[in-house]
Amino acid sequence: MTARTMTKAKTILSARGISNRFGHQVVHDNLSLDIMRGEIIGIAGGSGSGKSVLLRTLVGLHEPDAGEILINGKAVQSIGADEIASLIGVLFQQGALFSSLTVAQNIIVPMREHSAVATDEQERIAAMKLALAGLPAEAGIKFPAALSGGMVKRAAFARALALDPKILFLDEPTSDLDPIAASGIDALIRQLNDSLGVTVVIVTHDLTTLFTICDRIAVLVDRNVTVATVEKLMKSDHPWIHEFFHGPRAEGAMKARKASHGK
Amino acid sequence: MPRNPQKPSADPTRPTVLAQGDGNALALDGELGIATLADARSALKHWSKPEHGRTLDLSGLRSLDTPGALFLRDLRLQGVSLTGVRAEHKSLLDLICGLDLVPLPKVPSVGRWRQLVVQIGKGGHDVARAAVDVTTFVGRTASWTLRGLVHPASLRPGSISRHVAETGIQALPIIGLMAVMIAVVIGYQGVAQLRRFGGEDFTINLVAVSVLREMAVIITAIMVAGRSGSAFTAEIGVMKTRQEVDALQVMGMEPMQVLVVPRVIALVITLPLLTFFADIMGLLGGAVISQFLLDMSPTQYLARLPQVVDGSDFFVGLFKAPVFAFFIASIACMHGLKVTGSAESVGRETTRAVVKAIFLVLALDAMFSIVFEKMGI
Repeated sequence: MTARTMTKAKTILSARGISNRFGHQVVHDNLSLDIMRGEIIGIAGGSGSGKSVLLRTLVGLHEPDAGEILINGKAVQSIGADEIASLIGVLFQQGALFSSLTVAQNIIVPMREHSAVATDEQERIAAMKLALAGLPAEAGIKFPAALSGGMVKRAAFARALALDPKILFLDEPTSDLDPIAASGIDALIRQLNDSLGVTVVIVTHDLTTLFTICDRIAVLVDRNVTVATVEKLMKSDHPWIHEFFHGPRAEGAMKARKASHGK
Repeated sequence: MPRNPQKPSADPTRPTVLAQGDGNALALDGELGIATLADARSALKHWSKPEHGRTLDLSGLRSLDTPGALFLRDLRLQGVSLTGVRAEHKSLLDLICGLDLVPLPKVPSVGRWRQLVVQIGKGGHDVARAAVDVTTFVGRTASWTLRGLVHPASLRPGSISRHVAETGIQALPIIGLMAVMIAVVIGYQGVAQLRRFGGEDFTINLVAVSVLREMAVIITAIMVAGRSGSAFTAEIGVMKTRQEVDALQVMGMEPMQVLVVPRVIALVITLPLLTFFADIMGLLGGAVISQFLLDMSPTQYLARLPQVVDGSDFFVGLFKAPVFAFFIASIACMHGLKVTGSAESVGRETTRAVVKAIFLVLALDAMFSIVFEKMGI
């Protein structure tokens, strides 16, 4: 936990007064969220609570009806293409790997677009990113259609890491995975956060992920967020939050947390 | 979202890396990362041959990313000892140095001539398989459609009428317009050629006969194959990707009966009707041509028509329509059911369905021409 603890308490991304409406339906109402450098923050909430919209807003894909997103103090919409590409990496839920390119070419795409690295160097870096994401080198010449669900996530991880982003956004990184693969992804997130010092924002339903690797959790309830550590959220008397952290599924995840934090 | 593309070069705030010192002891200052990799490499060029006893001091490095760490790993493997690593870079460097790095395997390449032979072989095999598939599926469709006609209770009138509306009524404007235009095109060419022999009045024969026998039905069939055939493939294909077809099957409903038969029957109903409409519009186009190029009034044109065409011209054209319709719908449905899980296969199958349907329409038309010629109709 070296890189994490020492650079903490400096805001890298802040959302100010975000409001999102679709027709008459208000999804976010004056929502504010500060994300600290080097932390792992989980975004949780029920289905339809606007988690994905919040993620799209944070990365600048969706323009909010009101409010602004600042990354390192700069409005996300005003950051240039090269800078944003080296600042944020996004792991989309389905991976969003380009199906016409091999995995290695997928990783090279952002490098080719935003840096002046020579071709053979790009391939070496791509091989390194694959290893970093825990994939064998042979996976590099495969097309995304030939990969299993867990490998797609890892390949998408490798592509999200292509330009060494400062903030990594993960949309449901463990969904559709078997428990072993999901634990592998959790460990990978932890490792990358520890050694690269990358800030991680995870949108997930997965209680085990939330309990075992997140430093703080932002729970989306009542069109706003409640941000706190797991311990504090456990004591919350908001009915939905209480149900979320004390339901039958939460108990198993809590055990996992104790096991991982106890060592 | 629009962003201003920026090129990495020619930027005063561009990160830099500098090598200081001399001989076998150097110090790296600045930022070592993907943007400064080339600079770092050229700064350490005289170290390209491995030699022992070199040290690189990294205490002046302000930032380090993974490509930079990879570069340092290579140096370390060449025997350079890295000193003064800052605390915040240590875990990154350890992680990268600890990775089991294997270069990307090369994609096995096939010789150009060999590839050509392989492709021809594959193409031939694909054509043969497609022929078998089409024959089998057309047979199955025919069998299921006949079964539906024998037991009308199993037909789905609601579904049939929806498809009749979608494939027929909504196609009227475009098909009418195309029929008029094709008649005008034939008329212009006919007048230009026949005038040389002083027989420009025969343009009416040319336009009326070609529209009734061939053009109206061909234009309509091609339009319907492109418009409704692709829609059939895409609709069924999307149902296939969402497992709706599997859901039908486990609920004891036969996809052939529920999805294919109503579409086939609907198209067999609409294509002759559309062809009839195209006939009328084509003859109308002929009237326009006669007025402007032959100075023949619409009344005169109407009076001439029965002399130049007879019932067989009309019926030959109309007879082909339901046959084309049956094949277009069968092929579209076949490719729809061939869709496998992914979204891109919907697009691929749709293209194949349209190409195959149009090809088959023209091939069947050529066959009809020969048969009718032998029969003397």
